[in-house]
Amino acid sequence: MSASEIRLPEGALARDPEPRPPANADTATPASWPIRLSIRAALRARAEALLRPDRRFGRAFENLILALIVLSVASVIVEATPGLPAWTRPLFHIEELLVVAVFSAEYLLRVAAARRIRDFVFSFQGAVDLIAIAPFFLAGIDTRAVRALRLLRLLRVLKLQTRVLENTVAERTRELADRNASLARAHAQLNAELEVARALQVAILPASFPLKPGCDGAARMIPATTMGGDFYDFIELPDGRIGLVMADVSGKGVPAAFFMAVARTNLRDLAAHHSEPGACLAQTNEVLCAQNPMDLFVTVFYCVFDPVTGVLKYANGGHNPPYLRRADGSVESLRGTGGLVLGAMSGIEYPQHTVQLLPGDRLVLYTDGVTEAFNPADEAYGEERLIAEVKAHGDGAAAALVERICRSVTVFAGSAPQSDDITLTVLTWGARR
Amino acid sequence: MKITVETHARTTLLTALGRLDFGAAAEFQKQLEQALAGAGTAPALLVVDCAALDYVSSAGLRAFLLAARSAQRAGIGFALCALRPAVREVFDLSGFSRIIAVHTDRATALAHAPQPDA
Repeated sequence: MSASEIRLPEGALARDPEPRPPANADTATPASWPIRLSIRAALRARAEALLRPDRRFGRAFENLILALIVLSVASVIVEATPGLPAWTRPLFHIEELLVVAVFSAEYLLRVAAARRIRDFVFSFQGAVDLIAIAPFFLAGIDTRAVRALRLLRLLRVLKLQTRVLENTVAERTRELADRNASLARAHAQLNAELEVARALQVAILPASFPLKPGCDGAARMIPATTMGGDFYDFIELPDGRIGLVMADVSGKGVPAAFFMAVARTNLRDLAAHHSEPGACLAQTNEVLCAQNPMDLFVTVFYCVFDPVTGVLKYANGGHNPPYLRRADGSVESLRGTGGLVLGAMSGIEYPQHTVQLLPGDRLVLYTDGVTEAFNPADEAYGEERLIAEVKAHGDGAAAALVERICRSVTVFAGSAPQSDDITLTVLTWGARR
Repeated sequence: MKITVETHARTTLLTALGRLDFGAAAEFQKQLEQALAGAGTAPALLVVDCAALDYVSSAGLRAFLLAARSAQRAGIGFALCALRPAVREVFDLSGFSRIIAVHTDRATALAHAPQPDA
């Protein structure tokens, strides 16, 4: 079926946003307007393509104009020197004709290429281009009759200046665009790599709590948009006890993430050889101080829990003290060690404490990303809100309390950006479920 | 945050005002280092007045730690004074008050200046 055979249903044309003109659009009826407009558009596109400096014709034309400007200004000056032989005059006439012809052609092309003709005609460049040809059209070849008009031709120097300016601007624009594009590429690549690093940071943390009778543990880390350095860990010790770690590396970004990986690996290795948490932190601190080129440090709460006896031994290297919720609903904070953060100074001792857990007791470890989550009004979530949540939830799975607190913090923060990692661990012992 | 530096004889007093968080830590660290370098004549004592310091993040603590270390290397006394309770708690919790001298007020801090011959 050929195109001419397609019959449009009635009314189809009425819905066409640009109705096609009738076949005999040769009169000045309103229907001929689209045709005139499209001729104008075609002309404009053609003129624009001819003037484009990045095409061969546009470049050659531009060079011709520049040469003619120089030639014409020079000839105005030479022509004015007294005692010039008479035979030179026709040469100047030919030269002037050539210059005006090319400049006029250029002027018409620029008018045609302008998005809005009026904008070009009244622009600085438009005025300069017009001044460059006006003396000829006002007085003819022999502008000597009107001295002022002859001098006007010197204004063609202005044409040169607008050219140079225009070219410089175009070049700078191109350079800037190139640079922006490569910056955008680098930025996108960096973001993609950071995204991978963030995912890795979460992925290396243990996904589940070791299976021990009477123990129910859960943890979660919500990484900040800028990479933070929080981590938690569950370590199964050779004697059947479990090591729990809650830690926060100072600073942000890639250095913090690296230091986190180093701290976590060392602590995990040393935990197997040091059954006492205080000795384990002291030893980890020595190792970290010896390999700390960025002068970072890490706050670490480390405890070892015996799931048979309920005895919890802990030491604290500058971390927020965890909460112990007793089965009767009271909440106490495991304070009172005041140990220095790890990685800051070697030769530090970490005092160790012991607490007896009773069936139904819950331990809540957290980082300051929880208590220092800010809302849009710049208020911190704070310890009181955290304690209230811990106090209110003595029953249910550890994972449910972790989720509950995380939700409470994110609801509180609302639209405010998360500037720090949010990390939580809950351990419930001897809960009958 | 805002930082001002005054020098009296061989004591430099640095006043920190506002929030010392991740964004402010780098500038604060620079100011501490400049104060310690003391443009040719290093001070005998550098005191940081924290009376108007609202908040210190871990990045802020790091700036204090680095300053304390370079002060020790250069044989310059380094002390903090007039910490607000919330900031004092951060220093106690992190164990930093065990390795950096913390005084209750400015006068006490200045009185602890090491003697030139000491």
